[in-house]
Amino acid sequence: MGILTDIYNTVAKFFRPQEEDASKSVATNRLKLVLMQDRTNLTPKILEQMRSELIDLLSRYVEMDKELLELNFEQEGDQVALMLSIPVIRAKDEEEIEEALKQRVAECEEESSEQDNSENNAEADTEDNANNEIKSENDSEQSQLVSAPEGMSSTKQEDCIKDECHSEN
Amino acid sequence: MTGRVIVITSGKGGVGKTTTSANIGTALAKDGYKVVLIDTDLGLRNLDLLLGLENRIVYTIVDVIEERCKLKQALVKDKKNPNLSLLAAAQTRDKTAVNAEQLKEICDTLKEENDFVLVDCPAGIEQGFQNAVAGASEAIVVTTPEMSAIRDADRIIGLLEAKEEIKSYKLLLNRVRPSLIKSNEMMSVDDVVEILSCPLVGIIPEDTGIITSTNKGEPIVNDENALAGKAYRNVAQRILGEEVPFLDLDEPKGFMAKIKNAFAKLKAKV
Repeated sequence: MGILTDIYNTVAKFFRPQEEDASKSVATNRLKLVLMQDRTNLTPKILEQMRSELIDLLSRYVEMDKELLELNFEQEGDQVALMLSIPVIRAKDEEEIEEALKQRVAECEEESSEQDNSENNAEADTEDNANNEIKSENDSEQSQLVSAPEGMSSTKQEDCIKDECHSEN
Repeated sequence: MTGRVIVITSGKGGVGKTTTSANIGTALAKDGYKVVLIDTDLGLRNLDLLLGLENRIVYTIVDVIEERCKLKQALVKDKKNPNLSLLAAAQTRDKTAVNAEQLKEICDTLKEENDFVLVDCPAGIEQGFQNAVAGASEAIVVTTPEMSAIRDADRIIGLLEAKEEIKSYKLLLNRVRPSLIKSNEMMSVDDVVEILSCPLVGIIPEDTGIITSTNKGEPIVNDENALAGKAYRNVAQRILGEEVPFLDLDEPKGFMAKIKNAFAKLKAKV
């Protein structure tokens, strides 16, 4: 019987689903992610925001498959690494990049003049606005990602650039 | 003499803190060391049951703190081993009956006359945990290879790291089921150690003998044949500073497998 079960096990190994399907690796992966969130205080919301801002930034330079972009944490010993995996469709040529950058500068200027006008408002007020923007951005994100597979979605970029202008000013 | 004060903690309940305390304490006492076990789980005391001492308790830790008795009077000697004694928790009071300073004082007094003071910590990260940790300089974090227990252990490790008094902490992986690990249905020891990045002090296999030993009020380390008992005895040896290899839990049991194993070992040697 021993020999038979050994043979069975060896043969069955070839047909058995690979390790990734076993519940152990599901648990390990879920646990790793949740521990990173626990340890760093990064909430899923913040991670999603980080992801969308990275998409905006990188899509100025490359055309990529946004659906497949992965943002993960990996741990090696005590070190925690942020791993970003981007399926690149093609790199943009210089003209396109320049155009995107120009657009960004223009939008920045536009924003800053707008900001000058509203500078009289209390600082706390603008902070509140920024938070609201982030919220609405997250809400509409899914659909934007799906509906605009190529190039940038302009509304989202504005949001992102707004933040950048903020820090530049 | 200045003994070592080790807190046995976990975060999550039901992973085997009390069983671990009882067994490590008994194993160390069997080796001739003087050991005191302190149950700090006020209101939910159980260490007395696992040791079979529930009928001998006259005074508790709260009686000591509220000065109704002397510390020595409250120590209950083990039935078999005079080296081992228990300071029981009060069953009728809650965690607020004791504070961290008082517990530290008790630990400091006890370590003068004992080789080991083992503090059985309650579940949770609130005052009960803070109290239990207060007097300790070492910690053993008990966890099982389950997500919820590991997450809580990670939290506890974070809290222990922040405590200056805790000089070292180690992981004890309890209730390991080699057959489930083999079929990839349970996280392996390596997985857990990698995730928590914490040194191991022991791997305890799931053992039905634990249930019968609890029923009888006799720690499983007293059973020479039980695998879990052997694993706990090894933990005690490691605490004493000896290098003991971890038990090979998934050693194949069939006849053919044994022959295969022997061949593999031969091959490795050649």
